[in-house]
Amino acid sequence: MIRSGEFDGNFVQDVMAEPGGEHLLDCWSCGTCAATCLVRRFDPAFNPRLILRKAGLGLREAVLSSREIWQCSACDACYPRCPKEIHISEVMQAIRTIAIREGYEPPGPFASVDEVICSGCAVCTRSCPYEALARGPVMVNGDERVIAQVDKNLCMHCGVCVAACPSGAMSLEEFNDQEILSRMGSGGWLEQPGYLQGAADAPRILAFVCQWSIRSDAEWAALEALESERLHLVNLPCSGRVDPAMILLALSQGADGVLVAGCHEGECHYKRGTYLGRGKVALLDTVLNQMSIHPGRVRFVELGALTRSALPALLDQMANEIVTASTAAAPAMFSAADGA
Amino acid sequence: MEKLKLAVYWASSCGGCDIAIVELGERLLELAQVADIVFWPAAMDFKYTDVEAMPDKHIDVTLFNGGIRTDEDAHIAHLLRTKTKVLVAFGSCAMEGCIPGLSNIKGPDHALQGAAWTSPSVDNGAQVLQQGHFAMPEGDLTLPVLSKQLRTLSQVVPVEYSIPGCPPHHDQIWKAMTAVIENKLPEVGSLLGVDDRTVCDQCPREREGKIRVDRFVRPHEIIPDPEICFLEQGLICAGPATHAGCGALCIHAEMPCRGCYGPPAGVVDQGAAMLDAIVAGFEGESDADIRQVLSTIVDPVGTLYRFSLGASVLHQIKMGLAESGQVCDSQRNGEDAS
Repeated sequence: MIRSGEFDGNFVQDVMAEPGGEHLLDCWSCGTCAATCLVRRFDPAFNPRLILRKAGLGLREAVLSSREIWQCSACDACYPRCPKEIHISEVMQAIRTIAIREGYEPPGPFASVDEVICSGCAVCTRSCPYEALARGPVMVNGDERVIAQVDKNLCMHCGVCVAACPSGAMSLEEFNDQEILSRMGSGGWLEQPGYLQGAADAPRILAFVCQWSIRSDAEWAALEALESERLHLVNLPCSGRVDPAMILLALSQGADGVLVAGCHEGECHYKRGTYLGRGKVALLDTVLNQMSIHPGRVRFVELGALTRSALPALLDQMANEIVTASTAAAPAMFSAADGA
Repeated sequence: MEKLKLAVYWASSCGGCDIAIVELGERLLELAQVADIVFWPAAMDFKYTDVEAMPDKHIDVTLFNGGIRTDEDAHIAHLLRTKTKVLVAFGSCAMEGCIPGLSNIKGPDHALQGAAWTSPSVDNGAQVLQQGHFAMPEGDLTLPVLSKQLRTLSQVVPVEYSIPGCPPHHDQIWKAMTAVIENKLPEVGSLLGVDDRTVCDQCPREREGKIRVDRFVRPHEIIPDPEICFLEQGLICAGPATHAGCGALCIHAEMPCRGCYGPPAGVVDQGAAMLDAIVAGFEGESDADIRQVLSTIVDPVGTLYRFSLGASVLHQIKMGLAESGQVCDSQRNGEDAS
């Protein structure tokens, strides 16, 4: 029920006056966006259709004070499917712009900067898919220094900057380094010696899995059922959060292989997060090869609509390749064919 | 007050660390007022027997530079450890392997062949490789032999402190020596002679902060803009992943940081941190874009781990410490270099 007092005819005009908000009233309320939205996997109450509907009805207070307007990550999974071609993330952004102007605040969590450690190198600002990080002058212990600052209105807590920061100055609650490291080692899994150390019957694989790449609780439960001596799962907010130092730590202990599962190209919930995840694993693989370390020990797999259920098979394939490579002849010591 | 007893040793090193100490200049005279140098092979005439004759813990501070490459290096590391109260891994080689540590990529056999067989300046048709023992009519000749991997000092014996840098800057050496003289050394395990944060904190170049690159170049390939961040110009600069301490020396000489001051405080693997930092600045969207950018990074290990390979997690994956200390295959005669 909508009470007449809640209606604000100017709100529709305000939204449509913002860049991206022009198409608000084009919405038919068909719900296709809600059916494709990834956020609903973690928050069933989130419904982009309802937000557009309420905004179209001029429910200013109800829309601006809702938590939901801050949850859209602009992944744009809904955009190509909208029969009215409404760029819904841009409408959301228009609504947020008004909310910020009128003093509403996003609920978080946000990435945060340790101002004492940050050197202002700008690595995080380049990494951020949302341009939520910028350098600016800050007084720290009496000195004015130019360091990274988080714009809470833009931060989507993907954790990409936390992995990117080379000096450990960025953190994100629940997905900070200590938290992920403790989950990697939970149950003493990393302390068990691996197959390549001659102590396990089959390769032991640690899998970092993007929480958005597994699209339903049932799929996640099926994956968790596979956890064993041979497989340890660590979920991440995004494959772009994966830290090569953590992969190396796992490989230096009981993991024979590390698999990183992210979203299909173009389906990343955080725009370019999966791109960064793939880039890191690809460069790390090059590094391991140059060091003549056993091949096939790191791998990035992308999970799309057609390959989502293939993860168990991909894990098996990776394990098989580690076994096959370990029975191959050692590289010739006295022929420097590659010359590097 | 009794004068301090100071020792300086070079294991497998280039001599740059000894030069850096000489660069203390007139401050050496101040040092000489409070400390006696009891062992410094690069500068004065001492014999190993002089050290062997000392009582245990006779030396107050030893500045040990160079990596542990040969059985001789390992022997002297153990000897100086016994004779020294405060052992300092001095410079990048002793602390983290440095440039000699890069030989661990291919291993010592490859390095020996390069030096003895394939270098353009040698004529070694019989393909002889130097061995630890060689019988001559006059008697048995001995030479140090190489271990399977170059090790850092702390991988062979416990050390109290490390001073990074290739070489350490003389002002930072003096800062560390002042802490020794004034008996104000920090907690054991700390770095000496560093500043807070990373090289970027001391770098004056402008960072727009949003410029990403789709290809990397090396310093000889472009004339970089003198005002703008090297990374934003596609030059791999290790500044973001390198401990501050040098005062951004290379940057002021128009060269990207190469990373010789090692990882920032709390960072376990400098190369991995650098890898993250450069991928963060990749432009592109697809796997094809990634392949394109990666193809422009020449020698990734040498670039990301130029100074820190020996102490890196990456290196532990390649070979464990116990095996690293064994004599390399081409000089193996049943001995162990540890």
